[in-house]
Amino acid sequence: MARPVIAKEVFFCFHVLLFFSIRRWLTLQMKSELMLLLTDARGKEMIRQVRFELTFFALNPKLNVVAPWREWDITGREDAIEYAKKHNVPVPVTKKSIYSRDGNLWHLSHEGDILEDPANEPKKDMYMLTVDPEDAPNQPEYVEIGIVSGLPVSVNGKELSPASLVSELNQIGGRNGIGRIDMVENRLVGMKSRGVYETPGGTILFTAAGELESLTLDRETIQTKDSLALKYAELVYAGRWFDPLRESLDAFMEKITETTTGSVTLKLYKGSISVTSRKSPYSLYRQDISSFESGDIYDQADAAGFIRLYGLPMRVRAMLEKGL
Amino acid sequence: MNTDTENYGCEVVCFTGDVGQGIKELEGLEEKAKASGACQLEVKDLKEEFVRDYIFPCLRAGAIYERKYLLGTSMARPVIAKNKFRDYGVIYSSNRLWWMLPKKLEPMSSLMDAQEQEMTRHVRFELRFFALDPKLNVVAPWWEWDIIGREDAIEYAKKHNVPVPVTKKSIYSRDGNLWHLSHEFWFVFFFTFTDPANEPKMDMYMLTVDPEDAPNEPEYLKIGIVSGLPVSINGMELSPASLLSELNQIGRRHGIGLVDMVENRLVGMKSRGVYETPGGTILFTTVQELESLTLDRETMQVKDSLTLKYAELVYAGRWFDPLWESLDAFMKNITKTTTGSVTLKLYKGSVTVTSRTSPFSLYRQDISSFESGEIYEQFAKMA
Repeated sequence: MARPVIAKEVFFCFHVLLFFSIRRWLTLQMKSELMLLLTDARGKEMIRQVRFELTFFALNPKLNVVAPWREWDITGREDAIEYAKKHNVPVPVTKKSIYSRDGNLWHLSHEGDILEDPANEPKKDMYMLTVDPEDAPNQPEYVEIGIVSGLPVSVNGKELSPASLVSELNQIGGRNGIGRIDMVENRLVGMKSRGVYETPGGTILFTAAGELESLTLDRETIQTKDSLALKYAELVYAGRWFDPLRESLDAFMEKITETTTGSVTLKLYKGSISVTSRKSPYSLYRQDISSFESGDIYDQADAAGFIRLYGLPMRVRAMLEKGL
Repeated sequence: MNTDTENYGCEVVCFTGDVGQGIKELEGLEEKAKASGACQLEVKDLKEEFVRDYIFPCLRAGAIYERKYLLGTSMARPVIAKNKFRDYGVIYSSNRLWWMLPKKLEPMSSLMDAQEQEMTRHVRFELRFFALDPKLNVVAPWWEWDIIGREDAIEYAKKHNVPVPVTKKSIYSRDGNLWHLSHEFWFVFFFTFTDPANEPKMDMYMLTVDPEDAPNEPEYLKIGIVSGLPVSINGMELSPASLLSELNQIGRRHGIGLVDMVENRLVGMKSRGVYETPGGTILFTTVQELESLTLDRETMQVKDSLTLKYAELVYAGRWFDPLWESLDAFMKNITKTTTGSVTLKLYKGSVTVTSRTSPFSLYRQDISSFESGEIYEQFAKMA
């Protein structure tokens, strides 16, 4: 998600520079160090290049991409570090710190070193944003998230801007060990890679929004939304942010969550999140229908008819099989 | 007094399937059956069949309904319906009553459990019967008699001297089997639970320990999987039902598998339920984790998409629908190489994966590593 925002910004600020420079300044904006261009443009991290370049293609199809790592005689991280040293370029990473990390407001990712064998458990000291669940407080922490049309607006009653809100939840989630994900994923370029992600605030937000939807979206809607969300995620992963398909899916998402307004209270405890309360003025949940007692809205006499009609295809099929 | 012969003029045989509801539920059943007018009671142990033929396929498919529900009740219906039908083909006109029995193993509870809002249950049983014999006539007293709610049903039972296990005090409607225990609230007088704004009380949970009271030390567990299905725990091979049972024990003591959700029922309304699925939660995490080694990108995308439909069909009682069968054939085939083992860490309510290995793993360190590799030519990508 970070790539499109950076790419777009750079493009508008630096479109007069040589593309090579843009690529560099691009990385500069991200990490403020020249040499990182070389280290981060490594071939196998191509997904990063894909995400940036696709955005550039969408904005200016005549752009020519130059990526030194792909052309020069550098075949790995070790070579890159050597090259940097030879040219007196400060390199923040030493051979000792060999996790490859990528961080932004939403998450911190870790790859490399012992993680490259999926049979290995990550080391406790690798994590940086979140506390180990075993060291998290022994008392659960409750957090209330206010949501308007599918997007969070407040934490514990206090309204916050988007970035401040995520930041706040990162703090809260981090101290409770929330949001650690260890996975083997399929990269766009075809190989599997193992990565560990820390997404404290994001995990809380995803849970909250999903939980509120269970009040505001009906059955067919949830099914369709969940199905389309799979595609949406694939497109974002592949760097196709400005693709009309993604934009259209997003229009659907924006529309369908118009009434997803209300609040959700979550309990955070030693790495896990559980929901304890959800409320919405647009809730489709009605206690009088849901209860097992009788009610006016729900007529039990409808039951027999419903089952007969709903099961009609099955009966017809059975009749066919039995030669009736 | 035989309420059924009185009302329908035929003999009634009581059938119940043991799908892991627990010893307590099965106690005193024969007396109760006879007290309600049955001429005999048969209890059939369906646990292994339940796990092997119904739970395991759903597990292999990764079927989850509306993001959280692991389909505990939905999977139990077909196994009971199938066994009921197999043995009692000639008495089915009265069987409607007794079909309801397997849920709670008490005759009168058929009336109570046949409440309309629980119609999904009817649907699941009846669709199965339709598929087996389209000429079946379904008789459901609740729909025909003058009973409009659980309170009425309890009154009716009392009037006819039928033992009723639930009192007005026991306000949760529970459904349990080897996979899960569900809690729903049926007594409308107490609004607290039915309101999704309220947190469930910890004393409601029956199987699972409160995560806050779970051990302070994590427990590691290694689960062996063959073609998408679990076969061993910590190196020890176990039968399907025993394996699940063992994982339930382990999961419970660490507070694993508590789910609180508002779901969309088949019949249209939303209902709030709380589910305890300790072993199941562990298994779902395990199988999916192993797939991250054995399934490639396109495959995972398609599988995840199809499994949404799979779960909907199971939830709606369409187990023997050709569509379900075809999806299951896909799931069985696509998980053929999902063999290996996964190590999990259980700690205070959460399950995390610490290791996965597979002889069929598509993950290759030499390709994935950030160092160079001959297999992956960076220059090739310039094309």
